[in-house]
Amino acid sequence: MSWNRVAVVGGGLIKFGELFEQSYEQMAAGAFAAAVDSVDEGFEPSQVEAAFVATQRGTLWGQEGIGGNTIPTAIGLAGIPCTRIENACPSGSDAFRVGAMAVASGVHDVVLVIGVEKMRDKSAEEGLLSRAAAGHPIFTRGETAPVLFAPFATRHMHEYGTTHEMLASVAVKNHHNGALDPYAHFQNQITVEDVLASPVVCTPLHLLDCCPQTDGAAAVLLVNADLAQRYTENPVYVAGFGVATDHPYLHEKSTFTSLKATGMAAERAYAMAGIEPSQVDCAEVHDCFTITEILDIEDLGFVDKGKGGVASLDGETSLTGRIPINTSGGLLAKGHPIGATGVAQLVECWWQLRGDAGDRQVETRNGYALQHNVGGRGSGVSVVNILTTDNG
Amino acid sequence: MSPAVQILAVGAAAPSWRLPAADVGAAWGRGGRGQAAVCAPDEDTLTLAAEAASRALDVSGLQHDIVDGLWWGTSRPPFAEGPSHAVLARAIGLSYNSAGALCAGSPHSGMEALLGAADAIGAGSARVALVVVSDAIVPGAGTGFEARAGAGAAAVVLVSHGGAASIGARVTRTHAFLDRYRGDAETETRDLYDPRLFREEVFVPTLRELGDQLAALDARAWSLPDPDGRLGATVAKQLGVGTPASAAVYAQLGDTGAAAPLLGAIGALDAAGTVAVVGFGGGRATGVEIVAKEPVSGAAMVASALAGGTTVTYPEVLRARGQLVASGETVQMGVPPASAQFVRGADEMLGLLGARCVDCGTINTPPSIHPHCTSCGSTKFVLEPLARRGVVHTFVVNQTMPAPFVAPLPLAVVDLEDGARVMLQGAGDGSDLEIGTTVELVLRRYAYERGVPVYGYKVRAIEEQSS
Repeated sequence: MSWNRVAVVGGGLIKFGELFEQSYEQMAAGAFAAAVDSVDEGFEPSQVEAAFVATQRGTLWGQEGIGGNTIPTAIGLAGIPCTRIENACPSGSDAFRVGAMAVASGVHDVVLVIGVEKMRDKSAEEGLLSRAAAGHPIFTRGETAPVLFAPFATRHMHEYGTTHEMLASVAVKNHHNGALDPYAHFQNQITVEDVLASPVVCTPLHLLDCCPQTDGAAAVLLVNADLAQRYTENPVYVAGFGVATDHPYLHEKSTFTSLKATGMAAERAYAMAGIEPSQVDCAEVHDCFTITEILDIEDLGFVDKGKGGVASLDGETSLTGRIPINTSGGLLAKGHPIGATGVAQLVECWWQLRGDAGDRQVETRNGYALQHNVGGRGSGVSVVNILTTDNG
Repeated sequence: MSPAVQILAVGAAAPSWRLPAADVGAAWGRGGRGQAAVCAPDEDTLTLAAEAASRALDVSGLQHDIVDGLWWGTSRPPFAEGPSHAVLARAIGLSYNSAGALCAGSPHSGMEALLGAADAIGAGSARVALVVVSDAIVPGAGTGFEARAGAGAAAVVLVSHGGAASIGARVTRTHAFLDRYRGDAETETRDLYDPRLFREEVFVPTLRELGDQLAALDARAWSLPDPDGRLGATVAKQLGVGTPASAAVYAQLGDTGAAAPLLGAIGALDAAGTVAVVGFGGGRATGVEIVAKEPVSGAAMVASALAGGTTVTYPEVLRARGQLVASGETVQMGVPPASAQFVRGADEMLGLLGARCVDCGTINTPPSIHPHCTSCGSTKFVLEPLARRGVVHTFVVNQTMPAPFVAPLPLAVVDLEDGARVMLQGAGDGSDLEIGTTVELVLRRYAYERGVPVYGYKVRAIEEQSS
C-alpha cells in the first residue's frame, strides 16, 4: 500500500443526554479530555498536529455557520489547523475518514477527530422539527427526519412481511445494550409492548422506534501506526473505509427497501480492508429509527435482503448473537448527537476490539469491528469505517 | 354579424369540508339548519377555480394551451393585489400569451367574468375563452350569515361555434346600496346592516324588475341568488318560477358568492332548454339567458362534483379560515415565497413540469435541480407536463409537525402514468392511501407565508383502484 497505516490510540466521550447545563465548548473539552486520558502511555495535548471537527448543524444552538476555529479555542489548542467536516448524519464518521487520510498521507502524524453536537438548546419545534419547512418548498415540504426512513419501513413491510414487532425488537435490544453503557442517554430497558404502545410519530413508526434528541461529544486520537507503540501496547488500526452518495430526494430513489449508499460505502470499505462481512465481529450501525438498523444489516451484508426484521426478532444481533449490532445502545438508546454520533460509535468499536467494553463486551474472534452512518437529504450519504486489531 | 357565443363544456368543484349550521349556531346561542362547504387549510378560491377549470377543459377535449383567455370572477382573489390571475393561468396550463381578466370585489364578479368572456368571443378577439367563477367566503365570526357562507367553483368553456348551448339575452340593474362588504384591509366580510331594509328596498324590487324582463324567456330552469336562505324562494315565488335549480346547490354548499349564479345553473344544462342565470352583489344584478340545444358536456357531473365532503367542527373551520390562531411562533420556509427559487420554479411547481431525458427517457423532477439525468447523466432534456395520475409506491402519515403544519400530514411517493416518480403531500388525512392506490394530482395551497399563498400539487385517491 502506498499510504501509511493509521492507528487509534485514544478515544473517549462524555455522558450523552439532554445536557442543558453544558455549552458546545464545554462538551468538546470534556470529550477531548476523555480521549487524552484514555491513552495508555499518556498523551500531551500539544502533540495534536491537526484536528477535524464534526458538527452537523450550528443553527440548533444559534450558530449559522461554524468554521474550524471554535474547537481549538475550546480545548486549549488555539492556533492548530482545524477543519470542520459537515456531511449530514455521517459527519462524525466522515471526519474520522478525513482524519485518517491526513495521517495516511503522511501530512500529519497525530490527529484529533472530534464530534460535537448541541441538539437541545432549542425546542423540538424550533429545532429538528423545523426542517419540515426547510428544503424545497413543495417537494420536501413536511419532511421531518422520520419521513426520510418511514417510507422504507412501509415498503419493507409490504415486500418482505416485516412486522411492527420486528421493528420493535431492534429498539428493545438497543435499550438493553444501552442500559449496560454508562455513556448512553437512556439507561432503561423496554419491551416490545412498550414500543407498540408508544404514540405514532410517523406511520409506521412509533415514538420508541425513533432515536431521541441528544447532546453529546466524542473524540479519538489517530497516529501514524509506526508511532503507535509510544502511546499504547494495544493499538487498534484503521482497516478500511468507504463513503458513498445517493440522490438527495426520496422520489429519486429506485428502491425503498435498501439504502444504496450504504451498500456502496460498505463494498468500498470491505475491499479496502480485504475482508468479507462474515469476518466482522461486531458493528455500530446507524439506527436513527428501528427500520434503519434493519436496512443497515441487510445493506452491510450481515443478513440476506429482506431478512433483517426476522434476524432482529430472532436475536441474531444481540450481544450473544451471531453478529452483535449496536453494543453501545446505538442511536436509539445511547442517543444521536449528530456530529458526535459516528465518533462515539468508533470509540465503542475501539473499546470492543481492546476488550474494554465491560458488561457489554462481545467475543472478537476475527479482530474486526465496523462502524456505519447514513443520512442527509434522501438518506443519500453513507460512511463505513472498519477497525481491526490486526497490525497488518 | 358577430360570432355566436357558445358553451362547449362546464365543470364544477367544491371544497372538501362541510360545516353543519347547527354547530355554528350552538357557539352563538342560536339554532341552525343545513350546512355549508368550507375550504380545508390547503384549499382556497384559487385551488377551487383550478379544479373546476381543469374538469371543464378535460370534458371539452381541448388542449389547455389553445385557450385564448381566462376570465376569473371571485369576490376575494388570493392576493388583494398581486399575481392571482397569472398563478391560476399557469396552474391550469394556459399558454403564456393567454388574455382575459380578473373580476373581483363582489359576488357579482362571477357574472362580470361570464359577460367579459362572452364579449371577447362576440368581438372575435378570442376563439376559446375560459370562464371560472369561484369563492371561499370568510364571514365575520358570529355574523348572521356565517353558517351559510360557503365555497365552490364553476367553469365554462366558451367558443364561437360547436357548442351545445349558447349565451343569449342579458340584462343588468344597478342600485348603489351597501349590502355585504369588506373594507380595504379588512379580512372578514361584514353582514347586512339591516336585513329588512335590504329585502324591502333593494333586493326584492331589483330582482323583481330584472326577473320580469327575463320571465319573458320562459326558462325551464332558474338560478337565483339567495343571500339569507329565504330570499331566493321569495323571489322565485314572486316571479312564479317554482323551485330554482340553484336551491340544491345552496343546500349543499351554502352561499358560494361569485360562484353561486353559474354553479346554480350549469347542472341544469344536462338537458335542452333555456336556463336563466341571475347574479347579485356589490350593488348590481345581472341576468343572462343560456339556451341549450342539447345536453352540455360536464353538466351531468356537476351534482357528483358538489356532493360528499367531510363534516368538520366549527373550531376546525375557524382555524382553517385564520380566525382561530395558535399563540407562539411558526416555522418559516427555508426560502421566502417571493424569492428566486419561486421565480425559477414557477413553471415546474405550478405547471408541474418534468425533464424527460432524450437519451434514456427518465423523467427528472423538478427540472431546475437536475442539470444531469439521475439515471444516465445526460444533459439533453425535453420539458413536458407530468401525468396527473399515478400509483402510490410507498407513503407515510406524519403525525408530528411544528406549526404552521397540522398533523396528520400524509406524504406519498407516487409513480405517475408517464413513468415519473414524485413525492408529494396527500390532500387528505392519509386514510385514503395505501401502497398501490391510484391517485390524482390536485392543486393545493402548501403554505401561506408573509402574505403569499404558495401553491403546489398534492395526491388524492380516485375511485378506480389498480389491480
